[in-house]
Amino acid sequence: MRNLSIKNLSGPTGILAALVVLIVLFSLLNPRFASVENLQNVLFQVSVPLIIVVGTSLVIQMGSIDLSVEGVMGAAGMAWILLSPNTRLEGDIGVWAWFVALGLGLVLGLITGAIYAKLKVPSFVVSLGTWYVGLGIAILLYGNALLPSLTSEALARWPTQLTLGLPNCFWLAAVILAAGVFVSHYTKFGRGLMAIGNNEPIARSNGMPVDRYKIAAFAIAGTLCGLAGILATMQLGSGSPDIGFGQLFVVIPAAVIGGTALSGGEGGVIRSAIGVFLLIILNNGLVLAGVDPDYQSGVFGMILLIAVIAVAWPQRGRLKVAK
Amino acid sequence: MTQAYPPVLKLTRISRSFGKVKAVNNVSLQIDRGEVIGLTGENGAGKSTLLKILAGIERPDEGTMEINGKVANFRSPNDAFKAGVGVVHQEQSLFTNLSVAENIEQQNQSRMGLERFGFQNWKRINADAAAVLKKIGVNLDPKARVGDLSFVDRQMVEIARAVCVEPGGDGTPLIILDEPTAVLEQAEVEVLEREILKLKKFASVIFVSHRLDEVLRICDRVLVMRHGVLTSDRSTEGVTKDELFKAMVDDAPTVSTHARSSRPIELKPAIEVQGLTMKGKFRDISFAAYPGRITALVGTNGSGRGRIMRALFGAEEFDGGTIEVAGKPVHNWSIRKAVAAGLAYVPAERKVEGMIGGYSGTRNIALVHPGEAARGQILRPGKMAETAQSWFDRLDVNPNNIKQPLDQFSGGNQQKVVLAKWLNSSDLKVLMLDHPLRGLDVGVSQAVNAEIRKACDHGTAVILIPDTIEEALEMADEIIVLRDGQLSARHDLSVASDLAIKEIVAEMV
Ligand SMILES: Nc1ncnc2c1ncn2[C@@H]1O[C@H](COP(=O)(O)OP(=O)(O)OP(=O)(O)O)[C@@H](O)[C@H]1O
Ligand SMILES: [Mg+2]
Repeated sequence: MRNLSIKNLSGPTGILAALVVLIVLFSLLNPRFASVENLQNVLFQVSVPLIIVVGTSLVIQMGSIDLSVEGVMGAAGMAWILLSPNTRLEGDIGVWAWFVALGLGLVLGLITGAIYAKLKVPSFVVSLGTWYVGLGIAILLYGNALLPSLTSEALARWPTQLTLGLPNCFWLAAVILAAGVFVSHYTKFGRGLMAIGNNEPIARSNGMPVDRYKIAAFAIAGTLCGLAGILATMQLGSGSPDIGFGQLFVVIPAAVIGGTALSGGEGGVIRSAIGVFLLIILNNGLVLAGVDPDYQSGVFGMILLIAVIAVAWPQRGRLKVAK
Repeated sequence: MTQAYPPVLKLTRISRSFGKVKAVNNVSLQIDRGEVIGLTGENGAGKSTLLKILAGIERPDEGTMEINGKVANFRSPNDAFKAGVGVVHQEQSLFTNLSVAENIEQQNQSRMGLERFGFQNWKRINADAAAVLKKIGVNLDPKARVGDLSFVDRQMVEIARAVCVEPGGDGTPLIILDEPTAVLEQAEVEVLEREILKLKKFASVIFVSHRLDEVLRICDRVLVMRHGVLTSDRSTEGVTKDELFKAMVDDAPTVSTHARSSRPIELKPAIEVQGLTMKGKFRDISFAAYPGRITALVGTNGSGRGRIMRALFGAEEFDGGTIEVAGKPVHNWSIRKAVAAGLAYVPAERKVEGMIGGYSGTRNIALVHPGEAARGQILRPGKMAETAQSWFDRLDVNPNNIKQPLDQFSGGNQQKVVLAKWLNSSDLKVLMLDHPLRGLDVGVSQAVNAEIRKACDHGTAVILIPDTIEEALEMADEIIVLRDGQLSARHDLSVASDLAIKEIVAEMV
């Protein structure tokens, strides 16, 4: 019998094995892959999607989905940089910029969650809407001026600076990840999300505050997207409404590869994080392995398909429904 | 019972209607400490609705309810739970992705220390669950995932969850079990019966069942409902099954003693399997089913009979062996091909696999074999309704409303519609039924058996997984006994007519 203890935090061994195989393979293809420099580079790249995927996982675990990632990142990132020391030379409110930007993410998440939970509009559509609302806010903030750049050396250098050998941005992601694991395993709320994902009517009839949980999950996801937007802006050194471009297509497949079923009730934060590592390393390795840039997207897509098929393979019973 | 305590439950003139249907009509009753009460009645008599009122899921239109001497006015299942009412519903309601302890915890509202702020104290949860499991004498790992448990073990988890109620003061918990035995095997039923007798020590129990033997065996008192009205309330001592029947139905059915017409074996089997194997599930199964004959597959829960049937229907892949339908071996067998070849399968878990709850009876019945009711992709609503109506009449579906969503029917009546869906084929070659009588009352059981025999008489080969060996002996022409995924015996009943149940049981284990 499978020994599936709930407290078993480690993801499925299969995906970890795949990760190891990838790392070995890419190291053989190009020795530079395993260099300290490149590994730091990978950690740098992995930070932003890791932060996002914590929220994404919580939302998917309850059987909903949040597509608003890139829009929320754009809005929060732009708000943050315009309120921090930047080339437009105005608006700097110091540390308060963080509160405003994170607050923006929180509010967008609350809106998605409230419309979804209270008005019962599918989260898929609601979050598409908030995506564009976020994008719209970012574009308005951008206005007609030049893209703002960070003028504070300290802020711009912070993500890449090393602490105990690892870049600061990765430490930030690691803290968020740890908090995510804690929330989903050691709080009523986290376990409640799993219960809702498994069977919402039963959760309701058990007197669980289902609507509140749903809204809270989206609020957390929105706030984390805001944080990711700030970090991405810092990493880039300048603001852009498009700062989140491509992130959605990392975090959702990463969650699925990690075994977080889109129908809800399965998987977890750690597993999704491993999925993020897998995808980022895949991308990084393909570049280092010298795959022609024209082919990279196609190859990446194909390997992604193979990975998701591999994940779904054991569950492919005849009457099993995939949604 | 000592009268020092107020009754655990006292209902006074409780009523609940759905539209024109009076599901519960003016019911008054009283239950004392430590009593085990049996509740029975036809499908749709209102049993589940009455229990849902006690559980805070439905609210009564009229009447008062007192629990442990206090007037109860439940607004939610939580209220009922806090008042001391624990329920095991007709359909299991556990989170399959969570652990046993977490499922039990769902009902336990006590919070200490950090838990008050929403933190999950795994140590306490696991320990509490272990304590509850011990109290009811069940040996289960609190950390096990519910989805990995057998059905009867899950039932135990449900009971454990129900007994976590906190009636407060010196109140007695009221544990409600809605048809807990319908889906259990003989041996499992015995486990459950012992469990109920244990509950008696600290709780009062209401137990719904269609099996009167069972009710008479374990209950102190039996209540009968008919069309929402409580028609009988008697001590089980000295009451006979016949008397109970009379209270259940308007005209008591004459228990049929059907003489098996020993049908001749035709030369060509409708379906034949050779060496069918599914790794770890069953092995080297060979048998044939002939037109006009009923073949029963008997065995315990893990014997593989359900899987074999599903493999025959293409619902599950097998590793080795051949299936021949009408003399031709099949390749890449699938449900679509099976249906096209005239096979039908009534699954055991009808609620999950057999019906579309939001659809009306009409649309459910037209799902597989629309027959006259469709030309290609084009549906003919008139014909659909006509067909549905004829089945509703034949199986006496109640309420007789083909437009009502299936969700709103009682458990037993839903099953009738699922049966009708498969029986509604003009050219049925093989009819496979997994526990067709599960959850049906006596009258309906007979009607369904009559339909099965009718299909047989029209030349359909029937493969049956019965609830009981008695059912197999009553219905089948041939009995195939399975043990641990292997064929352990076969009996042609047209030859050996004095087969004893004991013999078969011996071959099963
Ligand atoms: N939500 C609902 N909407 C409309 N009618 C309903 C609803 N729930 C139950 N009914 C009707 O109330 C009546 C009683 O149903 P109930 O489920 O209580 O029967 P039951 O005695 O439990 O039957 P069974 O033995 O088949 O489970 C039935 O006629 C049913 O169709
Ligand atoms: Mg019922």
